[in-house]
Amino acid sequence: MLYPEIVIAGCGNPLFADDGFGPAVVEELLKFKLPDNVKVIDAGLGGPHFIFTLLDPEVTKRLIIIDIADFGAEPGELASFQVEDLPAGSYRDAHSWDLTEPLQRLKDLVDITIIGCQPKHVTAPEFELGLTEDVSNAIPKTVRYVLELIGVDYGMAIENLRKEERQRYSRGEACGES
Amino acid sequence: MSKVVEISPTTRHEGHSKLVLKVNDEGIIERGDWLSITPVRGVEKLAIGKTMDQVPKIASRVCGICPIAHTLAGLESMEGSIGCEIPEDAKLLRIILQCANRLHSHALHNILTLPDYYIPGTETKINPFTPEEPVRSVAKRIQRLREIGQTIGEIAGGEAIHPSNPRVGGMYKACSERAVYKMYDLAKEGLTLAHQQMEFMIAVIRNMQKRDWTDVGGKQIPIPKNFGYHDMGYMAADPMYGSSNLDEHPGWNPDRWTDVRPWDWYMGEVEVSLADPGYPIGGTSPVGTKANPQMEACTGVPLYDGAPVEVGPRARLVTFKNFNEKGTFGQQVARQLEYPDCLYTILNCLDEYNPCGKVLADCIPQGDGSMGWAANEAPRGCDVHLARVKDGRVLWYEMLVPTTWNFPTCSRALTGSPWQIAEIIVRGYDPCVSCATHMIVVDDDKRIVAQKLIQ
Repeated sequence: MLYPEIVIAGCGNPLFADDGFGPAVVEELLKFKLPDNVKVIDAGLGGPHFIFTLLDPEVTKRLIIIDIADFGAEPGELASFQVEDLPAGSYRDAHSWDLTEPLQRLKDLVDITIIGCQPKHVTAPEFELGLTEDVSNAIPKTVRYVLELIGVDYGMAIENLRKEERQRYSRGEACGES
Repeated sequence: MSKVVEISPTTRHEGHSKLVLKVNDEGIIERGDWLSITPVRGVEKLAIGKTMDQVPKIASRVCGICPIAHTLAGLESMEGSIGCEIPEDAKLLRIILQCANRLHSHALHNILTLPDYYIPGTETKINPFTPEEPVRSVAKRIQRLREIGQTIGEIAGGEAIHPSNPRVGGMYKACSERAVYKMYDLAKEGLTLAHQQMEFMIAVIRNMQKRDWTDVGGKQIPIPKNFGYHDMGYMAADPMYGSSNLDEHPGWNPDRWTDVRPWDWYMGEVEVSLADPGYPIGGTSPVGTKANPQMEACTGVPLYDGAPVEVGPRARLVTFKNFNEKGTFGQQVARQLEYPDCLYTILNCLDEYNPCGKVLADCIPQGDGSMGWAANEAPRGCDVHLARVKDGRVLWYEMLVPTTWNFPTCSRALTGSPWQIAEIIVRGYDPCVSCATHMIVVDDDKRIVAQKLIQ
């Protein structure tokens, strides 16, 4: 199966400064050892056609989308949305022939949460690399929130991460000693 | 007396584009301009000074639909510049990724294009989302083909959307024997489905070709026999994968490429004098709207041998397989004919692939500023990237993406058809106009959601 029970998709374009928030959170999440039923994906701009239209609601029960959203808060503040909160046109699949939105089709079959971060600086259509400090600082909080949503203990995940790093280093040392 | 009609935006494809059409009293297009209205964002400028590893990753973010083509073309233009030959097993993994991407893309294009066509023998247009047979089984098959393409792509490329495995000099990781078996099983399943899907689609296209008219917004619009014909040339670098300056017999030649500005090609300011509010999805632009394709077009016009060319499935088949059907229907048939080849190529590559083989070049030169190019045969056509790399940094970079080649060619293909079916011609090119950002903007009365702030 391409997509398991829990799918976490970071959406946005890192070429437009803070629009890269979703992929940046995904990069952090990929460092954790997460259960086998969880898949974390850097969706870039391809969320609607590569993921949302390809989910099988019989397998995937939970979809968490991480993106930027303008909800009039201070830059870096986070909010959680449901599909009903989204204005028309969000995540519209350019390929859907009647311009319906894949999340509207999915929302009664899959539990969907959208985590939005208020951006400070989105440069579209001009390209600029890198998140602003405010938005970058929101990454750890988002990671903790996502882990909480999927019932993974942050401490344990960090613990596993550290253990893996230790093992990596210890192997290196062992090689050096022998 | 010519009238002007504008369809903006065009629908069922990626990005923002529009059609400005001069039509005669019968509504037949005398001159059509199809243009991108997505602002140009200058990735070429951003690339300067970045490392050769960074630039292909940046290139892959330019478009939400073609990240695989841009990653591969970007990497290979770097490798072309520094003169780095990658190991055979790395090349095989890249070809597998390419074929998987094409399989997914053609299947997705079927969904986008089917609503223009009729179920053979009926007067019912195809709604891919209907729960009724026979369309339901077709939709399921399309979804399975997409899944197979994405899964194989994920195994070979590391990630299904933005592939993380390809790198300058080869691939980061080899695929294990187990992964090879998995891809093999998926490809075998896909091959049967691909044959079925190809036959179904060709039957649907041939049925449409025999019709005299089609229904658009409740009106019967005649389909001309030369629907979508143009007299421009074709350009393709390879039947399946692509070519680069490192090849013994390169499939593309940078000396034959020139670029002109949109004002040399598109028409000047015109005023819309014909409108149809009943045209599907919101009607056409109202009478009195000003359109100025010369100034609004956001892409240059690339020429090959001094003229626009068509790129894509038909260009590949015409160049390499003696295919000779013209027009929109020929183009659609060509796309379907590519289905089985994607899977045969994957199976052949897997047969040749050695899981214990090397996937990274022993030596990765840092470049002396020489020009390198790679022409990747992306699903929707030849995607050419050109680069100069010196001491590991990019000095110059250029991307010539498939739909940019097709804009002027398709514009000419519109002539002679009723304006109401111009979009069917456009969709035949499987256009991918570069994507814009998609930030969620919650309007004022939805501010209440801010109370659900995560602390």
